[in-house]
Amino acid sequence: MAQTALNQKGLPPATDWKKWLGVSPFFLFAILFLILPSLRLVIGSFTNAEGQFTIANILQIFQEKNILDAYWLSIRISAATALGGGIFGFLLAYSVTVGGLPKPMRSALITFSGVASNFAGVPLAFAFIATLGRTGFVTALIKTLFGVNLYQQTDFDLYSFWGLSITYMYFQFPLMVLIMAPALDGLKREWREAAENLGASTTQYWLRVALPVLLPSILGSMILLFGNAFGAYATAYALTGGRLGIITIQIGAQIRGDVLHNPGLGYAMAMGMVVIMAISLTGYSWLQKRSERWLR
Amino acid sequence: MTHLALTNVSKVFGDFTAVNNFNLDVQKGEFVSFLGPSGCGKTTTLRMIAGFEIPSMGKITIDGADITNKAPSQRNVGMVFQSYALFPNMTVAQNIGFGLRVRKEKESEIKERVAEMLAIINLEKKADSYPYQLSGGQMQRVALARALAIRPQVLLLDEPLSALDAKIRVSLRAEIRSIQQKLGITAIYVTHDQEEALSLSDRIVVMNMGEMEQVGTPFEIYNFPTTVFSANFVGTLNNASAEVVDPASGFISIDGVQFESAVDLTERKPGDKVRVAIRPERLSFASEQKKANVVDATIENITFLGSVVRIRVKIGSTKFNMDTFNNPFLELPKIGAVEQVTCSREAVLVLDE
Repeated sequence: MAQTALNQKGLPPATDWKKWLGVSPFFLFAILFLILPSLRLVIGSFTNAEGQFTIANILQIFQEKNILDAYWLSIRISAATALGGGIFGFLLAYSVTVGGLPKPMRSALITFSGVASNFAGVPLAFAFIATLGRTGFVTALIKTLFGVNLYQQTDFDLYSFWGLSITYMYFQFPLMVLIMAPALDGLKREWREAAENLGASTTQYWLRVALPVLLPSILGSMILLFGNAFGAYATAYALTGGRLGIITIQIGAQIRGDVLHNPGLGYAMAMGMVVIMAISLTGYSWLQKRSERWLR
Repeated sequence: MTHLALTNVSKVFGDFTAVNNFNLDVQKGEFVSFLGPSGCGKTTTLRMIAGFEIPSMGKITIDGADITNKAPSQRNVGMVFQSYALFPNMTVAQNIGFGLRVRKEKESEIKERVAEMLAIINLEKKADSYPYQLSGGQMQRVALARALAIRPQVLLLDEPLSALDAKIRVSLRAEIRSIQQKLGITAIYVTHDQEEALSLSDRIVVMNMGEMEQVGTPFEIYNFPTTVFSANFVGTLNNASAEVVDPASGFISIDGVQFESAVDLTERKPGDKVRVAIRPERLSFASEQKKANVVDATIENITFLGSVVRIRVKIGSTKFNMDTFNNPFLELPKIGAVEQVTCSREAVLVLDE
């Protein structure tokens, strides 16, 4: 009753502010790391060097070929690593869930995936240089064991499109394992048995039941992998320097400003990335909802 | 002629025998229930018929053809699962037509059969709905239609009603029985619910710890259980240790109180230990004309169970439940009163101790 009296006087009930206190860390995070940076990007994109409003930065993105090429290169690398990492990660997840590998292997793979999916940036680049670089350990081993010099006798180059893609895949496929393992666990044994009971072969079961059920999860996860690679900067920069002009390196060059110092353009380019990422995440979220509806 | 036959079928998992020497002949169109507690081997037996488990020993035949080692997809046996197992990515119609589609039947025939099945389960309007848009009862009806669409030789139902609420369970079990009779299909039904088994089946197989305890019609199983387990598991039962007094006249003694049984005791000797079982509804208050099995009983407790009133009485030192139909004019004795209670000779079942 005392609570009601306070309300009548216009004071908020004590429980109300306690509720808000509980969710305040989320709002703090959202303000500091999502809203403020996004606002900074939007404002910066429409501001010139003199601090005045302009749409020149946005227009410049569509006018300069090297910027469009950088977007296209990033999209290609992201798509290649999403596809490669996605397929390999799916097969790995399959082998430890429905594939029948012993349970300890599953725990080991999931733990490894948890660590490896976060292993990126300079340490990852250095690890690859130390193993698959010109004087890397694996490069030397292949030369010693098989007499093949990867860099002279094949087209392999760690500092190229495919080299960077392979490096990215090191953190891409574990992420796929982490996402797909629960989805594969969601396939009910009874679906397989019901399909068999109705006369379906293993292939028919996979083509007509299991894969369609998993497809939203697979596609959604690949979209997530795409976004994961699209936003990567440190790994590419540490591995290739400026040799591969992906969009994140181009943005860095504009904002960090050695030769190409144009922060406004850098912000506009980053906003372009945000748009592409937002489209990807919307697709992911839609597919995930569809798959949750089926797998619940 | 026997339609489905299980001959000396056993299943062993490691050092655990799940099913031991199971023998059963099922006639065409018969509805047989496997009834027993969890872990008694009923589902394992069903899964062996479906082909999901291969028997460690024995043979399974349908119309004389040996299917013991055939793959599930080669058996033409329909199965309804406890968890429905509907394919979530397919509509109701697609689920029902799945078996026909993988068998590469003509699309026009599939459509016709699906429509026929939808009519049988009364879900014509839900043909384009997805499983997540259906209630539990509707999902199980679709699962039944899907299993029947392939025209199976035998229909297997693995506790199909256990995930549903009580009211739907009762209406759906009547529906299952009516569809089974209409199509004349042989059905094997697994359940741990005695009421379900009693109400649905032509015959019941009572199972316990991988063994068949008793096979018989619901009437036989309920009224003439042949083992203590059967008697205890099906229905409510009073059972007590007793001693044979006079095998020739059928007299036995429960803790000094004598009862007369219609069971043939001539193969037993006086003093033999036996188990006596009497159904609660077979006990009643004695009228003046009653002569046999009239004993004094102290009223200990009275419980209303809706249509039935359960009276707990003490005869000698043994406690018995006595059920009587409830009616507004029922005159109930007082707690602590001593009344005369009786039962017929046929109601006194004598089983091995």
